[in-house]
Amino acid sequence: MSITATLDANELRSRAKRFASQHLEPVAAELDHLGEYPDTVMQALAEGGYLGMLTPVSHGGSGIDFIDYLDVIQTFSGNCAAVASLINQHCLVTSAIARWGSEEQKQSLLPALAEGSVIASCAVGESGPGPGPLPAALTATTQADEFVLKGCKAFVRNPGAQLLLICAARQTGTEHREQILALLETGSTGMQPGARVATMGLTACPVAPISFDGVSVNADAVLGSPAAGQAMADELLALSALMEAAQTVGIGMAAVACAAEHANRRVQFGQPVADLQAVQSLLAKVRTHCQLADDSLRQAARLVDADVPFTTQAAMLKSFLAEHGAQMLIDCCQIEGGFGVTESAPKGIREPLPLARMFRDIAGTTLLDAPWDFPEGIIARSISEPA
Amino acid sequence: MRTLNPEELAIAKTAQAFVAEHIIPRAVEFDQSGQFHAYLLEKAKPSRIFAMAVPQAYGGLGYSAMAQSLVLEAWGYGCAAMGTSLAASSLSLSAVLIAGTDEQKRRYFAPLVAGGMGAFALTEPGAGSDVAAGQTIASKTDSGYLLNGSKCWITNASVADVHVTFARTRAVGGSKALSAFIMDRHQPGLIHGDIEHKLGLRSSNTAFYRLKDAPFPAANLLGREGDGMRIALATLDVGRTGIAALAVGLAQRALDECVKFVQGRYPPHHYPGQSLQFKLADMQIQIEAARQALYHVADLRDSNQPFGAEAAISKTLATDTAMNISSRALTLMGSHGYSGEIAKLMRDAKVMQIYEGTNQVQRIVISRSVLATHPVCGSTQKEGA
Repeated sequence: MSITATLDANELRSRAKRFASQHLEPVAAELDHLGEYPDTVMQALAEGGYLGMLTPVSHGGSGIDFIDYLDVIQTFSGNCAAVASLINQHCLVTSAIARWGSEEQKQSLLPALAEGSVIASCAVGESGPGPGPLPAALTATTQADEFVLKGCKAFVRNPGAQLLLICAARQTGTEHREQILALLETGSTGMQPGARVATMGLTACPVAPISFDGVSVNADAVLGSPAAGQAMADELLALSALMEAAQTVGIGMAAVACAAEHANRRVQFGQPVADLQAVQSLLAKVRTHCQLADDSLRQAARLVDADVPFTTQAAMLKSFLAEHGAQMLIDCCQIEGGFGVTESAPKGIREPLPLARMFRDIAGTTLLDAPWDFPEGIIARSISEPA
Repeated sequence: MRTLNPEELAIAKTAQAFVAEHIIPRAVEFDQSGQFHAYLLEKAKPSRIFAMAVPQAYGGLGYSAMAQSLVLEAWGYGCAAMGTSLAASSLSLSAVLIAGTDEQKRRYFAPLVAGGMGAFALTEPGAGSDVAAGQTIASKTDSGYLLNGSKCWITNASVADVHVTFARTRAVGGSKALSAFIMDRHQPGLIHGDIEHKLGLRSSNTAFYRLKDAPFPAANLLGREGDGMRIALATLDVGRTGIAALAVGLAQRALDECVKFVQGRYPPHHYPGQSLQFKLADMQIQIEAARQALYHVADLRDSNQPFGAEAAISKTLATDTAMNISSRALTLMGSHGYSGEIAKLMRDAKVMQIYEGTNQVQRIVISRSVLATHPVCGSTQKEGA
């Protein structure tokens, strides 16, 4: 049964929970172990309508509110954060096309993306503390009435076949090296995916570089107006930060529940360790950070849904979770002690042991793959230049 | 700040050179395969580094606590998994140094001098922080003891030549029921269990084992019956310094990797902005504080002064720092970090906050010492409240 725009938030949440316990929870450890693209899960997601969540009803999706979308991502992330990454990448692209695409682009691309016959990913940010003064990794040069892309994107998530990619490239020959956003299909002439990169976690969401050697982008394949490229790229970065924040919060909430269960079961010094104040302090700290991030996330999502500026709010959340996100799992693993750093249960131990995987996954949702302007510069400037 | 004397500097340099030649080039390979780094024992054998804490009278290097810390700091910089093999081996021999007879020392130290390793088996499935809850039982026989029980998360368990293990010599009673024993790898009744698949320290051997009607001669008892808890706690005080040293090394490596990455993103002589500069500065501040706390404990040990609370402070500060710095460095390095060696450092750092006494247990030790030093403050506050 596919989700629709008419479902209320509670019904949507309980469906997402059912989907997660049926399709994600049973396979999450194996997907992580194998590190392969989860074809069967993606098929189930497509059938359930989860790939069209941010695609308008008019173009084949369910067009649910962003706040409800993030709720689904949180739920899924608690079970399998790698799958949530794949959905986020896909829906970031559908959202961008729905926002800024021409009617022709929407009609030709969105229905296939909503039904999952084409999967999408986003290569907007430059990776790491940069771009700094070094040359851009991917440039767009104007030739006649098209752009020619040259360079590479080092860490493209889910760079598989049948992929639609939004690529940000910096224009050469313009004063401020503005960005354009190009819509490209993998397999375009001159576009070459490289070998898969091994990542610490989120392993079912493959990552690889893609090189661009004179890839032609005609006007029809440019998203929005080239002059607005930078603003769009900034907004995509902020949207992406909110989507990743939903993953972080989802993992954190699930992890703290798991650690609390363990603490209630584990007896030391003649009592469940949950009765020790030191353990309660850790549980309380993690749960508080999750709650604060969740509240802030919902506030930002409401701004997105109201179509008002949300970049500062997204930057604050990014900054908060860069500080406290990975720490949630550092603390939850601490509560479980040896169990928290063991990846698979030895004979005779029946405990579920998802925390080590979550520890590796959550670190991948709080990376500062962004220019230094984001998040701190944006927040600082917003104080004297309110939006 | 503590500066190193020429002899200490020479030891540090030798260790760093060994690490650069034999550890750093192969650390990632062994982390990926999860196989035990057996090659390292052969490489380390000529230097007798696994006997660095063994007194010279028994054929060891007889290193000072300071020298041992410098070696472990270098190994932690290269690979915490490999460093843990050395630290755990040194930990086990500390128990024999503390409580062993001359004959026991000769027996235990000989394999280490020959290039082998030791293991220290205290943890049990139901006894982690609560050491007194151990269920391994030593029943008295005519010639000694029969041991039955399980040990888990024991570093070097499947690869050590000699072990120090613990069992209850009395069915009831908390801290006075525990006794310590030495055993070798061929102990009858020793059944090696599963090797764990771990988040970090993947090439370090960590395993379960079982003792089933395992006969121990009376000569294997360390100290007297009921001395086990005292021996364990005194040994762990020493062991904490070793973990602190590994953690300082790991933290420094994480910062160095981060700096290398940042420098690669900027042209020569071009500094990143203050946001990044200050984050790097904060990381170095934490690491240097942890290093100085470590050297302070080493100096206390070398001058035969009490060092229990200081060792707990040092272990907590260094391992929290290693976790914090590696996590922070990974976040700053973004996808480069998530797919690079810094990810291994972050995975390796986590268990350091847990093993050899969790950092919660360390805080109990530290707070007791704080409250004992300032008992009046508490009562004054109470009266004034």
